[in-house]
Amino acid sequence: MALALAACGAAEAPPKPLTEAQSAALTPADLRLAALYERSCKACHTVTDAQAPLTGDRTQWDPRWAKGEDVLLASAIGGINGMPAGGQCFECSPADLKALIRFMAGRGQ
Amino acid sequence: MTTRRKILLGSAAAVAAGAAGLGGRVALRNRDPVGPPPIDAEGRALWSNWSGIAHSYPARRAAPADEAELARLLPDTPVPIRPVGAGHSFNAIVPTEGTLLSLDRLSGIVASDDKAMTATVGAGTKLSALGPTLAEIGQEMINLPDIDKQTLGGALATGTHGTGKGVPALHGRVTGMRIVAPDGTVIECNRDQRPEVFDAARVGLGAFGVVSQVTLHNWPLSRVKKVVRVVDTDTLLDQWPALAEQHRNAEFLVLPFTGKSALVTHDVTDEPVLPRGPDVDTDALMELKTLRDLFEFTPALRRRFAAHFLDGAPPEIAVDEGWKLLANARPVRFKEMEYHLPIEQQVAALREIIARIEREAKDVFFPIEARIVAPDDAWLSPFNGRESGSIAVHAYYKEANDWMFDLVEPVLREASGRPHWGKLHSLAAPDLKALYPMFAEAMAVRRSLDPQGRLLNPFLSRLFADG
Ligand SMILES: Cc1cc2nc3c(=O)[nH]c(=O)nc-3n(C[C@H](O)[C@H](O)[C@H](O)COP(=O)(O)OP(=O)(O)OC[C@H]3O[C@@H](n4cnc5c(N)ncnc54)[C@H](O)[C@@H]3O)c2cc1C
Repeated sequence: MALALAACGAAEAPPKPLTEAQSAALTPADLRLAALYERSCKACHTVTDAQAPLTGDRTQWDPRWAKGEDVLLASAIGGINGMPAGGQCFECSPADLKALIRFMAGRGQ
Repeated sequence: MTTRRKILLGSAAAVAAGAAGLGGRVALRNRDPVGPPPIDAEGRALWSNWSGIAHSYPARRAAPADEAELARLLPDTPVPIRPVGAGHSFNAIVPTEGTLLSLDRLSGIVASDDKAMTATVGAGTKLSALGPTLAEIGQEMINLPDIDKQTLGGALATGTHGTGKGVPALHGRVTGMRIVAPDGTVIECNRDQRPEVFDAARVGLGAFGVVSQVTLHNWPLSRVKKVVRVVDTDTLLDQWPALAEQHRNAEFLVLPFTGKSALVTHDVTDEPVLPRGPDVDTDALMELKTLRDLFEFTPALRRRFAAHFLDGAPPEIAVDEGWKLLANARPVRFKEMEYHLPIEQQVAALREIIARIEREAKDVFFPIEARIVAPDDAWLSPFNGRESGSIAVHAYYKEANDWMFDLVEPVLREASGRPHWGKLHSLAAPDLKALYPMFAEAMAVRRSLDPQGRLLNPFLSRLFADG
C-alpha cells in the first residue's frame, strides 16, 4: 500500500489550487467546444464568488471526478447545488456536456 | 465581521441545542429536491429552468448561427417553438416538448453610434458580456437587474428591470428591434416602422416571434459609488420616497424577523476606483437561514440574535464602472414572486406583507426586495403608463413556497399590482386584460404574427387564453 502510494506520487505531482486568472486563461483546444465553454460555463467556473469549482483546478475537481463521469454528467443535466440544470448550455448534447466536464476537471478534452 | 457572526451563531446554536427534533427538521429541509430524470424514456435530455421548478424534454434543440439560419428553421421545426435565453425565468414560460431555440450564437455588438449613444446588439448577448463590450465604446446601461446572467432577448421579453427613480426597465431604452416571425419573415420595427409590432413585442414573452437584434439607447459610461448599509426597517419605510429621490439607483432588502433592512444605493461619482470585495451576501443569507433553523418558533430570540450580528455592521462601499457593481453573483438558488405596484401603494403593501410573513410564515428567511421603476409605453410592459414600486419575495429552492400565493399575492393584487412576466404568479387572461389597457391590441398583433399559435406552450396559452 505504502509502495503503491509512493509510486502514484512519483507519477503525478499533487495538484495545486489555481487563481481566478489562471483558471480563466484556460480554453478547450477544439473550437466548437471552446465556443460552448465560453458562452455557457466560463462565467461561473472561473469566478470564486459563483461557488462553482474553478476550471482546471484539480484540488477542487479531483474529489468530484472520483464519483465517475456518468454521475457528473447526470449532475450537469439535472443541476446540482448552485448550478442549474444543463449548466446553462441549452444547445449542448450529453456528449458535449461530457467533453466540457472533462476539460473543466483538468482531464484534457 | 464574519467571524464575529459565526461566534454569535455558535452560541445561538448552543442556546437552541435542547430544542427537541430541531436537527431532524433541519436535515429534512436541507435535502435536495428529487428532480426529474436527466434523460427521458425516449432518450431526450432534460431542460430545466434555473430555479429547477419548470422543466421539459425538448424534441429538438437548435442554436442557429445567424438570422438567416433562424428564418429558415422557424417554419419547419417541431412545435411549440420556444426561444430560451439563460433559463432564468421562474415560471413555465419557456418549457417545450417541441423546439427549444437558443440564441446564444446571435451575440455581440453589431453596430454602434457614438453621437446618438446607441448600440445594436444580438439578442442572445448575455448581460454579463454586454457590460464590458459597451464600456469599450464608452456606453453603459444604468439599469441592470440583480444578476447579469440573462440574455438581452430574455430580459426584454419579461420586462426585466433594475431600480431607480426615473430609470426605466431595460426595454424602456430600446429604440428598434429585428424579429423573425414563426413563418420566417424578418420584421424590422421601431417607432416609425411597424410601430404596432414595436409596441406589442418590446415586452413580448417570446410570443410574437424571435427577436434577433435590438438597438439600445445607452448612457455615457460613468463611475458609480455603491453603498450597502444596514438600517432599521421602520425608519427606512418612512424615508423611502425621499431616499429614492436622492440616489440614482436605490433599492432595499427587508430582512424578515430582524427589524432590519439592507439599503443599496448607486450614485455617479468621480472618487477613485475602490473595487468591490468578495461576495458577502451569500454568507449573510446563509446566516439568516441558520437563525431561522435555530429560532423559527421563538421570533423574539431570532430578532435579538439578528440584531447582535447586524448592528454595527460597517457599510460596504465600492467605486467602479456601473456594470461591475449593479449586478451580483447570487449562487444560492431560489424561487421568486414579484409584482409591480402603482408607486403610491408600495410602502403600505410592503408593511402588510412583512406583518403577514412574520405572523404566519415563520420559515421564511430570504429578504423581501423593494425597487422603483419609471413608466414606459410598451403595451405589455408591467410599467406601462405608471411609475411602479416593485415587491419581490423569495424562497430557498429546496423549500415550499405556497405562502407566496396564499399570503403575499392577495396583497399585491389588492394593490393593483402587475406580475413580473418571468416570475411566479397565478394570473390568467381575464386578470391581465383588466390590468393592461392595450392587452386586446397586443393580442391582435400576436395573432397576426403567429396565427397557428406555434409559439404557444400551455403556460402562454393560459396567459393569452382568448388571444
Ligand atoms: C437569480 C435571479 C435574479 C433575477 N433578478 C432579476 C432582477 O433583478 N430584475 C428582474 O426584472 N428580473 C430578475 N430575474 C428574472 C429574469 O431577469 C427574467 O426572468 C429574464 O427573463 C430571464 O432572462 P433569460 O435570458 O434567462 O430568459 P429566459 O428565462 O430563458 O426566457 C424568458 C422569456 O424570454 C423569451 N426569449 C428569450 N430570448 C428571446 C428572443 N431572442 N426572442 C424572443 N423571446 C425570447 C423566452 O421565450 C421567454 O418567454 C432574476 C432571475 C434570477 C434567476
